[in-house]
Amino acid sequence: MKTAAPTSLSPTGQQVWARARGALAVVALLVAAGITMAALRSDGGFGRLDPRSTAPAGSRAAAELLRDQGVSVHPATTLGDALAAAGSGTTLLVTDPGLLSHAQQDALHHAMSTAGGRTVLLAPDRDALIGLVPEVATEPPVPVTPLDPGCSLPTADRAGDAELGGHRYTTGARGADLCYPSGGAPTLLRLDAGAGGETVLLGAPDLLYNDRLDEHGNASLALQLLGAHPELIWYMPSFGDTSTGTTPAPGDSADGHGDGAADREDGPGDRAADRPGEESSFLDLVPDGWVWGTVQLGVAALLAAVWRARRLGPLVTERLPVSVPAAETAEGRARLYRQVAARERASASLRSAARARLAPLLGVAAADTHTPDVLVPAVAARLSQDAARDPHTLLFGPAPADDAALIRLADQLDALEREVRTS
Amino acid sequence: MALTGRTALLAALGTLPVGFLAPGWAGMLAVNVPLLLAILCDYAWAAPVRTLHFTRSGDTSVRLGDSADVSLTVTNASSRRMRAELRDAWPPSSWAPGTAAGASRHRLRVPAGERRTVTTRLTPTRRGDRHADRVTVRSYGPLGLAARQGAHRVPWAVRVLPPFTSRRHLPSRLARLRELDGRTSVLTRGQGTEFDSLRDYVPGDDTRSIDWRATARRSSVAVRTWRPERDRHVLAVLDTGRTSAGRVGDVPRLDAAMDAALLLAALGTRAGDRVGLLAHDRRLRAQVPGRGAGDTLPAMVEAMAPLEAELVETDMRALVATVLQSAPRGSLVVLFTGLDAAPVEEGLLPVLPQLTRGHTVVVASAADPRVAEMSQGRGSIERVYEAAAGAQVGAQRGRIASRLQRYGVTVVDTAPENLAPSVADAYLSLKAAGRL
Repeated sequence: MKTAAPTSLSPTGQQVWARARGALAVVALLVAAGITMAALRSDGGFGRLDPRSTAPAGSRAAAELLRDQGVSVHPATTLGDALAAAGSGTTLLVTDPGLLSHAQQDALHHAMSTAGGRTVLLAPDRDALIGLVPEVATEPPVPVTPLDPGCSLPTADRAGDAELGGHRYTTGARGADLCYPSGGAPTLLRLDAGAGGETVLLGAPDLLYNDRLDEHGNASLALQLLGAHPELIWYMPSFGDTSTGTTPAPGDSADGHGDGAADREDGPGDRAADRPGEESSFLDLVPDGWVWGTVQLGVAALLAAVWRARRLGPLVTERLPVSVPAAETAEGRARLYRQVAARERASASLRSAARARLAPLLGVAAADTHTPDVLVPAVAARLSQDAARDPHTLLFGPAPADDAALIRLADQLDALEREVRTS
Repeated sequence: MALTGRTALLAALGTLPVGFLAPGWAGMLAVNVPLLLAILCDYAWAAPVRTLHFTRSGDTSVRLGDSADVSLTVTNASSRRMRAELRDAWPPSSWAPGTAAGASRHRLRVPAGERRTVTTRLTPTRRGDRHADRVTVRSYGPLGLAARQGAHRVPWAVRVLPPFTSRRHLPSRLARLRELDGRTSVLTRGQGTEFDSLRDYVPGDDTRSIDWRATARRSSVAVRTWRPERDRHVLAVLDTGRTSAGRVGDVPRLDAAMDAALLLAALGTRAGDRVGLLAHDRRLRAQVPGRGAGDTLPAMVEAMAPLEAELVETDMRALVATVLQSAPRGSLVVLFTGLDAAPVEEGLLPVLPQLTRGHTVVVASAADPRVAEMSQGRGSIERVYEAAAGAQVGAQRGRIASRLQRYGVTVVDTAPENLAPSVADAYLSLKAAGRL
């Protein structure tokens, strides 16, 4: 068998490598650059009020000071974690209560009134207060400035003036301490909560920032507020955190909630536990077999798509010859006549054609075909005398006045021609 | 790489163990990892496509409307048995619409080291050259789960020739040609006829053809017989410009012209004339010089096969120059073009005298039956306007035809199916009149 030149059109491995290596090199370079940049900037990755952040708006300074005082600081990013660790000997700091969902607010409110520790809320707005501390109302915010304590709370008294402002709170609750008033309303509010606990509201979080901690009495106030208990849970809510730490059920104790949350999160296969809302309850009701069976069916559908999508070779193209209907211009002319109601032109054309057909029948010379003086007498001679029609008007008359007259003219010309033919 | 329906089916069946026995990641992995391994093994075991070797054989030309068989021999040089699906791809017009998928695909099994032949049957629907596109092979693995797919280019071309449907008119025209030929008693005289023989006078013969000198030498009255001259040059000129692109009924004007040119060539070569072909629009597209009887028709058919009308205005000046160059003086030039007013008035009429000075000219054009049908329209206002437009077009064509006739040109303007016999008749009557 003779060996012919290779006819294969599929690229060989070397060709694929030769084509793809440029793109692969670019991708590798981008990945390497991304990793390098991420490594170089990794220290700036924490957010505002994060106890690990050294940024001006971070709170590492406060956290370090607290640790020096013997307080153990536990950062928490999910409410489940935060509530699981909270108890009577802890301080729970919530850096941004405004990010909590209603379900989370309910869970937190429940924990605040039953756990017995201290809860510090930084700058809760009106919506957050409705869910968390309903007995407190807000006043319009003010700028953050150094304020005098202006109250008998020992903590505030020791700290002296501190930088506060922001939201201002009013309450009618008994035993509340109203401190650092600005324009008559306090910006720091301490309330008694249930089970021996207490709740502290701060109108602005500025005193915890790294760059503000050393101003006035900020540090003192912060350490006293957060260092009252040996454990500090530093909870930073986020939109990504949807855990509530509990399924709201009446009669459950705080400890029971915490344990329940831990159990659920450890349980394998129960991926619906940390989903909120109706979806979670629907998926909870569907047996696992159905869910996983559907996933496997999805895999089968994907394989079927791959099977059907692969073509046995590409479509073949072909240069087609042009072809235009030859009568297109005639039809276009007819439509133009119709559009502008060109009765005069159309009747002239019909009459001319009729005359051209009549002339040979009558023996009229081609040159005289369109001469009335020759053609009309020749036609008249062949017609029966009693006919009422006038060949001159028919063949050389004026244009018809309306469409009906034009149709009639065409029929009359036909009739005339027929009569001449048969005479 | 390609998957099969079997793979998707297995994955779908895997839903049962996953759903009933082991819902969870473990079950998913237990089903899908073996499936993936089976796919990979099957792909690896499939016979390679790249090393296949192809050769072609079969028809290289076919008349439009007939079928051509092209064979493809597949040699499996690998050590694995090949079970494959093969697609021999050709341009879409190689098959009647809708039958391409069935006609181009073949299933075949080629044992290791052997070869097999598949035959693709083409039934082209248009004239011209068809070039094989590519051969795509999907070689399945032994499990039928995955396949290797690759393509090879195996060149082959099939030339689709004009159908020459007017062949059926040939016998009757040949009979008329023989009548002209002096072999029968009917005599036709003309300036161009040449002396053939003497025979006895029979009542009814033209008395002008009595040869008195011969009569004086013998006891009976003798008449001369004449026969048409032979070895004249006939040149069929196809205008492949835009006027020939017009579709009349289902066929472009050009195809009707080709059919007529072929009948003219068949007839002309039998009559002993030399028939040539010229196709021209803005440039020369095809040329067949006038030759002897044997090879004129095949050469013309071959030259016509790839011709298509172009959407350009024909350069009549260049066309006439080419005709004058290639046709010896006194030829019959049959020009197949359109009788539309503007192209003829602006293109042909100014250069026509150059042509008619040395040659006999016939202008043939396929008229559109739709125009005639429009002219008959009556009854509603749309149809009457159509009738007016049709009459207008008809009158214009008549005017153009009479202007051409004033130059001594014979004009054939008829429906496409009558074009070939009408041109043949025009040729015969010119021959009878001795104008060749």
